[in-house]
Amino acid sequence: MKMPNKHSFLIFIIYTLTCSCNGLGILKKEKNDQLAEKKILEFSGTSKSRILESTVSLFRNNKRIALGLVVDPSGLFLTKASASVGATYAKSSTGEKFPVRIRKRDKFTDLALLQIPQSSHDWPLIDWMVDDNRTVEGSWVTTASPTLESVYLSILSGNPREIHREGGVMGVILGDKGDEPGIPVLEVIPYSAADRGGLQQKDLLLSVDGRKVFNSQEVYNLLNEKDPGDLILLKAKRRENEVEMRITLGHRSVTFDLFNRNLLISGPVSKRKDGFPMVLQHDAPLERTAMGGGLFAPSGKCIGINVARVDRVTTYALPTSIIEPIVIKWLNSMLPKTSEPDKQ
Amino acid sequence: MRSVFFHTVFLIYSTYALSIEHDFKETFQDYTQEDLHVVEKQIQNLLPRLKRTVVSIETLDGAGSGVIVTKDGLVISAAHVIEQRGKKMTVILSDGRKIHAVSKGGSQLSDAGMLKLNDDGPFEFATMAKSGSSKVHQWCFALGHPNGYNKDRGIVLRAGKILAKKDETIQTNCRLLGGDSGGALFNLQGEVIGIHSRISNKPEENFHTSIESFLSNWDYFLSEELLTLENLKAGGFLGVSCEQSNNGLLILKVVPGSAAEKLGLFANDELLCLDGIPLDTREKLTILVSKKSPGEVITLDFLRKGREISIQVALGTRQ
Repeated sequence: MKMPNKHSFLIFIIYTLTCSCNGLGILKKEKNDQLAEKKILEFSGTSKSRILESTVSLFRNNKRIALGLVVDPSGLFLTKASASVGATYAKSSTGEKFPVRIRKRDKFTDLALLQIPQSSHDWPLIDWMVDDNRTVEGSWVTTASPTLESVYLSILSGNPREIHREGGVMGVILGDKGDEPGIPVLEVIPYSAADRGGLQQKDLLLSVDGRKVFNSQEVYNLLNEKDPGDLILLKAKRRENEVEMRITLGHRSVTFDLFNRNLLISGPVSKRKDGFPMVLQHDAPLERTAMGGGLFAPSGKCIGINVARVDRVTTYALPTSIIEPIVIKWLNSMLPKTSEPDKQ
Repeated sequence: MRSVFFHTVFLIYSTYALSIEHDFKETFQDYTQEDLHVVEKQIQNLLPRLKRTVVSIETLDGAGSGVIVTKDGLVISAAHVIEQRGKKMTVILSDGRKIHAVSKGGSQLSDAGMLKLNDDGPFEFATMAKSGSSKVHQWCFALGHPNGYNKDRGIVLRAGKILAKKDETIQTNCRLLGGDSGGALFNLQGEVIGIHSRISNKPEENFHTSIESFLSNWDYFLSEELLTLENLKAGGFLGVSCEQSNNGLLILKVVPGSAAEKLGLFANDELLCLDGIPLDTREKLTILVSKKSPGEVITLDFLRKGREISIQVALGTRQ
């Protein structure tokens, strides 16, 4: 048996709804395919430099966590809210570093507004796409690469659509309350959010985020209001002790479909990847830490903001029509009022 | 002046569905704004029609894709989607209509498979590209149902270039995912050049079964059992490893102790025909040989240093 030498594994791409551990083993492909070098479509049109100038990468603990798109030349940026939590500095495509502060956050769209205070840098003015005819399926779109060194070329596909919200899950099965106080944990799904957070079978759940809970439905309802990626504080009784733990909620699909091969082969996906009022879908090979940057037409007009890495073939972007009212509202509240009325 | 301009544009676009009057550079990264514009317009023109030819295939515990290639509803897909001949399957057309189908044959070597819809149509179908017409660095695009059929989302498009082509495999940077298996890779003329087969964890490692595999073994796939790696063992064995060449198959290596070695075949000999049947793909040779029993005699035509030689040989057993 010969394994392909230049890459770790190949799998057949049938979508299996349920897949056991054993199943994964037999899917390895023992075929020595001819491989080409790393080849990603890059864009080198005239708008390339402008796209890079208008994008910053955001860092927390010296690790890139997201990208940001300039929305006002004074140093205001949009980014993905849940990905940019705790960002301390931004780096421009020229390598300059700036301290950042998060000023606004919109839970509905998962957008946040960042400020680079007292920036002397000359940030460009974004040219927004207002004509929706240019955002049809099969149109080329461009987006800054995570390192802000090049611009990727990808194509719009699928129907623009609403992505329904999927609440956060812990990955537990809860029982009915007995004589003792607390809701018994019957089962903890391996590798789920609850398992990682330290919750154990037979623990008795007492409170969620400080709120006492009396039945399992109450817990599920509380969690459903949260998003994957949100942190919750649990209090539980374990034998004679009371224990506290913090749990970062997971996705329903990830938690209950642990051996979903599509997720395994896709690599890390955005913690929040659902619950968007409207998205455009494209296929740029962006990492999870490259969300929050702009999505552009080859002309250089901005058509949206990348908001979720969903899987190997799918990135969601919020279209301009969704972003615009939020940005206008935020800018109006942030920027100093001019005494003269706008000349329209 | 303006009306003449528009008229010209219309004329060019109306002929796009068949051919493209545009020269693309034959390298990977070298493309102009004009190239991108032509690719985009071409894809957008073809998309509504081609989407109607791409189907989702439901198996018992999963989903794949396929593409209708005849008016009466023959679908080509991947061997690992159909799994075996005679399997009952459900196919979902792009408009959501469900039709029952029964799997035909194919080959696990190239990961090619076929199925027939239980309805004679007429269906809209995609044309298959001519053998040998797809080349490295050409633009291409992929359609399929990653993660299975999704009505709200629809069929998913990916666009890119052919990165490599060897034997029955095409590699592109059109990123694929589970559920895409069996979906179609198209050239800019809207012809099927490949079927989605397998991926690695790297974004540019997407492999497709080339259409040549189907074209070369069409009747065999249609009428015989699915060729599995298992049932290859029972058939005859020649003992050469080769690659496709201009005339047929160029021998790279001869297996020691095999029928081929006993016969005196050498590396660099070029195989032309087996029992008079031209050898255009490696898979064809394997299929023809495996259909015979060990010990059965075949006639082999080959080219050595420009001289055509015809010999008869008794096949051996696969070790």
